[in-house]
Amino acid sequence: MSGRFAASNKVALVGHAQSPVQRHAERPLGALAVDTARQAIADAGLDLKDVDGIVAASLFPTAGSHAVQDGVSTVTAGWMAEHLGADPRYVAGFQGIGQVSGAMALAVNTVASGAADYVLFYRALHNPRGSYHGNSMQSIEGPQQWTAPAGYFGPLAMIALPYNEYLQRYGATRESMAAVLVEARKNGARIPWSYWHGKPLTSEEYLAAPTLVDPVCRYDCDIPVDGVAAFVLTSAERARDLPHKPVYVSGYAHSAPAPRRLPLHWPLDDIIDGGAETARRLWEHAGVGPDEVDLPQLYDGFSPFIWFWLEVLGFCPTGEAHRFVQDGRIDSDNPGGLPVLSGGGALGNGRMHGIPQMLECYLQLAGRAGERQRPKATVGVACQSSPHYGGAVVYSAEPF
Amino acid sequence: MTMTNQATGRPVPVPDESSSPYWAAAARHVLALARCSRCESLTIPPGQTCPHCGSTDPEFAFVPVSGHGVVRSWTIVRQSFLPGFEADLPFMLVDIELAEQPGLRVIGRLLDGPEAPVRVGAPVDVAFEDVAPGVAVPAFELGAARDAEADE
Repeated sequence: MSGRFAASNKVALVGHAQSPVQRHAERPLGALAVDTARQAIADAGLDLKDVDGIVAASLFPTAGSHAVQDGVSTVTAGWMAEHLGADPRYVAGFQGIGQVSGAMALAVNTVASGAADYVLFYRALHNPRGSYHGNSMQSIEGPQQWTAPAGYFGPLAMIALPYNEYLQRYGATRESMAAVLVEARKNGARIPWSYWHGKPLTSEEYLAAPTLVDPVCRYDCDIPVDGVAAFVLTSAERARDLPHKPVYVSGYAHSAPAPRRLPLHWPLDDIIDGGAETARRLWEHAGVGPDEVDLPQLYDGFSPFIWFWLEVLGFCPTGEAHRFVQDGRIDSDNPGGLPVLSGGGALGNGRMHGIPQMLECYLQLAGRAGERQRPKATVGVACQSSPHYGGAVVYSAEPF
Repeated sequence: MTMTNQATGRPVPVPDESSSPYWAAAARHVLALARCSRCESLTIPPGQTCPHCGSTDPEFAFVPVSGHGVVRSWTIVRQSFLPGFEADLPFMLVDIELAEQPGLRVIGRLLDGPEAPVRVGAPVDVAFEDVAPGVAVPAFELGAARDAEADE
C-alpha cells in the first residue's frame, strides 16, 4: 500500500478572508469570526446556504489565568454553526496538535469523503487582557506539578531549552537568529492586515533586545493578537465552476506520538528525530519532495522553529540551519533564495498559529498575492507548531 | 544539601495518586522515581501505561535514585510567569539526563546561581529546596557530591 494520499489534489481551497490582525479588536471575537467566515464564503462565489460543513480548531493557547469562553476567547465549530446562518450537515472541531494543519486535514477529509460539499474552515485567535502567559496559581495540580514548582513554566522556557541545546551542540549563537527575524518582519511589514505592517525590524534592534528566558527575547516570540482567517474548501470538480483559481491540497502529515516527557519538555533530539518522521510522512502523502517545493512556509511561533523545520524537511543538513539562513539564502526578494517566510509567518503577522503559512500558500498559488505575487509559485508547504509536535500541509497550483 | 528560606511564596505541588510517594520522598530530601514493576524501567512522570513496555498495569513503585546526572541544556529565567520567584530572578534551570537510565531527563533549578560555569555534559547532583513546611522541590548543584565521593 502506497503512502500517497488517496484524495491527493482532489480537494481545493476556493476562497478566503482575513481580518485585520490587532492587539485587541474593537469587536468580540465571535462576531469578527462570523463576519470573516461570511466574507470567505462570498469570496468563493458561494451563498451561505451552500455551506454544508464547518471545521475548525479552537485551542486558546495560553498558560495564563484566563477563562476560556466560547465566542469570546475562542470560537468553536459548534459556536460558529449556531451563529453563521448556514445549515451545515457536518460540524467538527479538531482536538489534536498542529491546530491549523490538523483541522485542514479534517476539512479535506470531510470533502473527500462526501460528508459535506462546501466546507468552511477558520481559525480565530484571541489576546486576553493582562499577561498572556502570567499565572497567579499558588498550588499546582496535575501534570504541571512535576515541573512548575521548580519554576519551569510556560512556553518561553519550553523553547529556550532545545534552542540552547542547539546553540551548544552546533556552535551557533543568538546572533545567527537575527536573519530570521529581519526576514519575517520585512515581509510582515508589507502585509496590510499584519500587526507589524509598516514596522520592519533591524538586526541591531533584535540583538539589542534583552533576553527574557535565555536565549529567547521578546522578538523571538510571536505577539499575541486578535485575528480571524477563514477559507472555503470543495472538491476539485466543483471548484472549476467557482470564480477563483483553485489551490489543491496534495497531502498532509501529523507528527507521530512524541516520547513521554515532563510537561513542556522538548529535548532537541525529540524535535529533530520526530520531525524527520513527520517530513517522511508528508512527502510520501503528498507525492512530492523538498526539491519540488518553491514556497516552503515554515512555522515560526518561536524563531528556532525555522531552523528545526529547515533541517527536518531536508532544505539543509542537520546542524546547518543557523548558517543556511545567512547571506540572503532565505531572502524572499533574492531570486535564488528559499522564501521560507515570504508570508511573514507568525513573527511578522502576530500569533495566528499556522494561518500566515497557509494564507501565503493560498494567495501565491492562486495568483492572488497582488504586489507581493511571486513570479513562480507552484508547490507550497504550510507548517505548524514543532516538527515533532505539529503537522504540515502541501498545496499545489496544479493537480498532479 | 542547599536549604532555602521557608515560606518563599512559591506555588507548591498538590500531591495526587500518581505523585504522592515522589513528594513524600522529596520532603525527606530523597529523589525517588517511578519504576515499572513489569520491565523495571524508570519513568517520570508516571502515567497509566509504561512508556517502555506498554503495560497498562505497571504498578509503578517509587525507588530512590542516585541523583547524579549530566547537563543536557539550560536556560536563565529573567522573567517568571509564576508568583513567588521574583526574589530569585534571574535563576538557572537545567535539563538533566540522570545516570540511572539513558534518556531519563528531568528539569530543575541549578542552585549554583545564574553565573555558574555550566556546560553540556557537566556533572550534577540532586539538591533540594524547602519551599514550604513539609514541601521540598528537587533541584541540582554542579558536581559537589561527585567530588566528595571521589575523595572518599
